[in-house]
Amino acid sequence: MHGVDHALAFNRVPVSAPMAPDGTWLLRLPGKRSVLIDRRATLASLLLIGLLVITSILSLCLGTVTLSPGEALAGVFGEGPAMANFMVSQLRLPRLVAGLLAGAAFAMGGCLMQSLARNRLATPGIIGIDNGATAFAVASVVGMTVSLAPPAMALIGGATATALTFGLAGGAGTRGYRFIVIGIGVGAVFGSLTQLMLARVAIDVANAAFPWTVGTLNARPAGAVTTLAIGLLIGVPAGMGLVRSLAVLRFADPVAISLGLKVGRIRFLALFLAVGLTALAVTVAGPVGLVGLMGPEIARQLSGRGVPLFGSALAGALLMILSDLVGRMLMPPLEVPVGIIVAVIGGPYLLWILLRSERMTP
Amino acid sequence: MTNAGSTRAGLGVTFCGAGIALAIVCLASLLIGAGNTGADLALATLLGQSSNEEARFVVYELRLPRMLMGLAAGAALGVAGALLQAVTRNPLAEPGLLGVSAGSGLAVAIAIALGSSATTLRISVAQLGALAGCLCVLAAARTRGVGSDPIRLVLAGAAFSGLLFALTSLLLLLDQRTADEIRFWLVGSIAGRSMDQVTAILPSMALAAVLILLVIRSLAALALGERTAVGLGHRPELVRLTVVVAVALLVGATTAVAGPIAFIGLVVPFAARALAGSDIRRALWLCLPLGPLTVIGADILSRVVVQPSELPLGVLTAMLGAPVLVAVVRANRLPSL
Repeated sequence: MHGVDHALAFNRVPVSAPMAPDGTWLLRLPGKRSVLIDRRATLASLLLIGLLVITSILSLCLGTVTLSPGEALAGVFGEGPAMANFMVSQLRLPRLVAGLLAGAAFAMGGCLMQSLARNRLATPGIIGIDNGATAFAVASVVGMTVSLAPPAMALIGGATATALTFGLAGGAGTRGYRFIVIGIGVGAVFGSLTQLMLARVAIDVANAAFPWTVGTLNARPAGAVTTLAIGLLIGVPAGMGLVRSLAVLRFADPVAISLGLKVGRIRFLALFLAVGLTALAVTVAGPVGLVGLMGPEIARQLSGRGVPLFGSALAGALLMILSDLVGRMLMPPLEVPVGIIVAVIGGPYLLWILLRSERMTP
Repeated sequence: MTNAGSTRAGLGVTFCGAGIALAIVCLASLLIGAGNTGADLALATLLGQSSNEEARFVVYELRLPRMLMGLAAGAALGVAGALLQAVTRNPLAEPGLLGVSAGSGLAVAIAIALGSSATTLRISVAQLGALAGCLCVLAAARTRGVGSDPIRLVLAGAAFSGLLFALTSLLLLLDQRTADEIRFWLVGSIAGRSMDQVTAILPSMALAAVLILLVIRSLAALALGERTAVGLGHRPELVRLTVVVAVALLVGATTAVAGPIAFIGLVVPFAARALAGSDIRRALWLCLPLGPLTVIGADILSRVVVQPSELPLGVLTAMLGAPVLVAVVRANRLPSL
C-alpha cells in the first residue's frame, strides 16, 4: 500500500500546500492531516443519495393502497394507524431494504469484476456467475442430494461458475470478447441445469423455486436478507480498501507490479469479494445480474475517473428499487418481477455498448 | 483439385455413414420411451405382430409424429445454421444465439395475445418474426467493427435475444391465457406434436429448399469474397436476401411447432464442416442427416435421463451445445468462413 501512495503522489499535494489540484477539495482535519476529495465524485454520490431517498419514500408510499409520505414515515416508526403500520413495516419496508441491499451488492460485485478483468462486460450476470449461484441455490430448494442452506449453496455455485469461466478462458485472457462468450457458455450450462432440476420435481416445489429463475423481490427466503446485510457490512469496507489498488490495476501488470502492488493477491481478494457479494445478492433477489453491468456504468458516467465502487453501490441500489417500483406499478394487481424490468432496460443498453464501443476496458 | 475424386468418395462414405446412423436413431426413437411400452412390445407392434391397443397408440400416435418432427426440425435448424454462418461469414452465427428464434417466439406470443390460435397462422407469424430477427442480425453484422469480429456479433445476439425473451415474459404476465398456451412451448420440445403439425410445416420447408437450391452456387462463390463473387457475375445483395428469407422460413416454421431449440444450428454445421470441409454445398448436404441425428438423439436422451418424467429437449441441447460453443471460442484461431 505504501508504494501505491507514492505512485499516486502526482494526484495529491503535500500536506503543507495551500492549493488543491483541479477538481478536488482539500479538507483540513485537526492536527496536520488533510483529505483530498474528488469534487465530481462527491457531487455524483450526493445526487445518487438524493435520488435514492426520493425513490425509497416513493416505494414506501405507492402500491395498491397509496399512503402520504407522512403516513409512510409514521408507519416506519410504528406510530401511524395500524393498517399503515402493518403495510409499511411488514410488507414495503422489508422489500425496500432487500432491494437496496441486493442492488448495492450486485453493482459492487460488477464493479470489482470489471476492474479486475479490465473488461466492461465482465460482470457476474454476463459471465455466468449468477446462473451458477442460482443453479446451486435451486438445488438446495428442491432438495437434491447435497443440501446446505441456499446462501451457502449459492456461494459454492458462484465460485464454481467463476472458476470454470476463468479456467476455461485460460490462455485467451480476460480482456477480449472470448472470455465473455466462454462465460455465456458456462452460464447456459448452469441455466439448463436449473431447468433440469425444476423439471424433475413436483409442480408445487417447482413453483416455489420459480422466482429463482426470473429474479424477484417478492419471495425472499427468511434470513437471506440478514446474511446479505452481514456480507455487505464486511464487503463494503473491504471493497473500499481495495479501490486504490484496483485503480492502479487498470494499467498493465508490469506497471502495477513496479508500483509495488501485489497483483495476484489484489485480484484474488477482489474476485472473492465480487463472487461473494453476487452470490449473496442472488439468494435475496434471484439472477438480476444486469444490475451489475448498469450500476457501475452509470456511476462511471457520473463520477468520471477512478474505480467508482461506492457510486456503483448507490447506482445499483437505485436501479433495483426503481425497477421494483416500476414492476409493481406497471399493471396492478399483477406484479412484474424486477428481473424482467431490469432485462428490458438493461438489454438495449448492453446492445448499445456492444455495437457502438471500440474500447472494452473500463 | 487433383484429389477431388477421392474427396468426393470420402464424402459419399461419410454421408452414407451418417444416413445409417440416422436410420438407427430413428428406429431407436420408435422403440425407446418413458412409458411402459417396452422396446420388444414396440418392435412387435411395428412389425404388425401385436394387437396391443395401447402399444399401437404409443408407437403410431405418439412416437412416430415425434420422430418425424425431429427429422424436420433437425434438418431445418442444421441447414439454417449453416446458411446463416455462410452469409454472415461467422462460424458462431446460430439462429438461437443471434436472436432469430427469440424473434419468432415474441411474434407468436404477440399473435396469441391478440387472439389468434390457429396453427397455420402461428407458423407464418413465427416466420415473420424470424425474418425481422434475421434482418436485425444482418444490420448488426454491417456495423463497423462488429461484423469482422465473430465473437462480438454473438454477444450482441445474446443481448438481443435476452431482451426479446424478457419482452415475451412480460407479455406472458399480462395475459394468463397466452401464458397457459405457450409456457411449455417456450422451452423447446418435439414431444406431443400431432401429425397435422408436422405436415403444416412441410410447404415452408419445401419453399426454403427451392430458394436454397437457386442461390447455392452464388453462395459458394460469395465465400471467395464479395469482389470475386461480383466478378463472377453473382449479385451478393440478392443472394444474401434470398438466404435470409430461407433461414427465416426454416427457423420460423420449426420454432412455431417445436419452440426455440438452442444450439442445434451451431453444433450441426460445426460437425458438418469438420467432416466435409468448408465448401458450403458439401456442408449443407451433410447437415441434412446430421441435424436430425442430433435432434432425435438428444430427444431419446431426454426421455431416458430422468425417467419416468421427461426433460425438455431445449434443456438437453443447451447442455450439449454450450460446451461446443466454449470449445470453438477457446480455439486459438477461429475457423474463418
